[in-house]
Amino acid sequence: MKWIYEIIVVSIPPFSLLPYRYSILLQLLLLLVIGLILGFIFDLKTVSLLYGSIGILVAVSWSLLILQLGPTLRKFRAPLSMNENELLERYRGILFHRKHYEALPGLAIFITFMVYLFNFGSNLIEYWLGKDPSIVLLLFVSLLIWDICYRMGLGVWTSILALWRSINLKKLAEKRIELEHTPYTELRYLRKLDINNVFFGIISLLLLPIIQQDNYLVSIILAYFLFISLTSVTSAYLVSKVPWLPPDIYNLVRDSSFAYVGNSLKGVTHVTPVVYIFDGQSIFFNTSKEAKKMKIMKKNKKVAFLIDKRDTSNIYENKALLVTGEVKIYGLTDIPFRFIQMLAARTLFLTKYPDYTRKYATSELPKAWQLTPIISRILVEIKPVKIIYWRGAKQITVPV
Amino acid sequence: MKIPDEMLNILYGNYFGYVCTSDRNDQPHITPVFFIYEEPLQKIFFITNDRSKKVKNLIENPNVSMTVDIRDTKNPFNNEGVMVQGTAEITERGPIYFLSEETLQLYRDIYLEFKGKYQAVIENRPLGENDVIVQIKIKKMVYWKGPHFKSVKLG
Repeated sequence: MKWIYEIIVVSIPPFSLLPYRYSILLQLLLLLVIGLILGFIFDLKTVSLLYGSIGILVAVSWSLLILQLGPTLRKFRAPLSMNENELLERYRGILFHRKHYEALPGLAIFITFMVYLFNFGSNLIEYWLGKDPSIVLLLFVSLLIWDICYRMGLGVWTSILALWRSINLKKLAEKRIELEHTPYTELRYLRKLDINNVFFGIISLLLLPIIQQDNYLVSIILAYFLFISLTSVTSAYLVSKVPWLPPDIYNLVRDSSFAYVGNSLKGVTHVTPVVYIFDGQSIFFNTSKEAKKMKIMKKNKKVAFLIDKRDTSNIYENKALLVTGEVKIYGLTDIPFRFIQMLAARTLFLTKYPDYTRKYATSELPKAWQLTPIISRILVEIKPVKIIYWRGAKQITVPV
Repeated sequence: MKIPDEMLNILYGNYFGYVCTSDRNDQPHITPVFFIYEEPLQKIFFITNDRSKKVKNLIENPNVSMTVDIRDTKNPFNNEGVMVQGTAEITERGPIYFLSEETLQLYRDIYLEFKGKYQAVIENRPLGENDVIVQIKIKKMVYWKGPHFKSVKLG
């Protein structure tokens, strides 16, 4: 399950002797050195050397981004849903196909570009290398163009497949039953890869100065940048909308009103009820700046968070969810970057507990109960590390 | 020490307690339990499996807290509860025939009381082979109703 490029990196010395990252940097250095030597031998202009270096830089940055895909997807744990698992297996199967389809878009781009460059090109070769360049130079430039085109093709390949995968994952996630889901960590990996692809698109803009005198190519690069960025942003957005909790637990968290927060400081524990909200992805609770648990959480961010459904008439109907992990405490410094999220959380609190809000607003209250956000009410988010779920007497550990 | 009636009402009138333990790395853990409160001893008892996470935690760190509360989704001023803090003791773990007469008596008493209190939910389930009785020796109790707090220190 490897791409041609990866196979080369891991099997040819000296690259195979180095960790990924360094072997890529070594390639950068090698290409640069060869380019500079050729530049001196054939007495090229400084600007030509600069363009060559930009080209190498683009190819290497793209390699760094794209080579995270393989290792990440190889350690991907199987989703706990047959359909989602099948989808991701298919996604991986196509992405790293034995027949190396990943090279096709790159090859197509390369051939089209070379034909354009040598037949209809607007003197780009002359602009880069001067009149009647040596065959050695032409070969080196072709190699560089291949390096860039191949990765450009990988960008198209990965972002289209990622979008396809995300659309289907989102669809399948809506049909889940009971405990089916794709774990939190895995969804985060997928999102991170999509964000990587956005950077991949942005890097393509570095190619603009090299082909600036050809308007046609400039618009193609801009279109490429837009295409890669938009597909990847859409894909990342769709993944962020896939619930990481299975429906059984999702419903429990969505429908319950209260939760218990457990804290511990120097071994002494503390447990209190809180109101909380769930935005489909994160769990937040509110607490007072004056509260004991706030003081503990500032020193020890580890918490336990329990949500349950009590049914005293039938214990087999009891459900409980225990999330252990860490808290993120929202303060003034989070406003610039998290403003929208904080505002959304506040709105959810107002919708979920309208009576509470009214009661709080109309009474003379001690300081600990005042509602002014940030100043006296603190927003706290639960960052799960481990999830345990009880249904009746059965205990299930849910992978995060 | 006289325990205020509000606290007694909560501790005698409810089924569920939320027990919070923590391991040696200060990672807290919560589980709901059925419990009984014994005012004369100032102790809380609950039965649990000796392989549960809370028992493992209690062996590493005997500090424990438990919250019992009444929740009102409409009016937060009716929210009422007690948090108990104390230390836990697990009386002699091991096969039941090796237990001392005293412990056996305790098991019998507590179990009968459990059966009395939780008849509706536990039916005739006998004390299982891996069940242990955990006793919490109460050190401190905090009571709240709405925004008002009251606390009692013991021992």
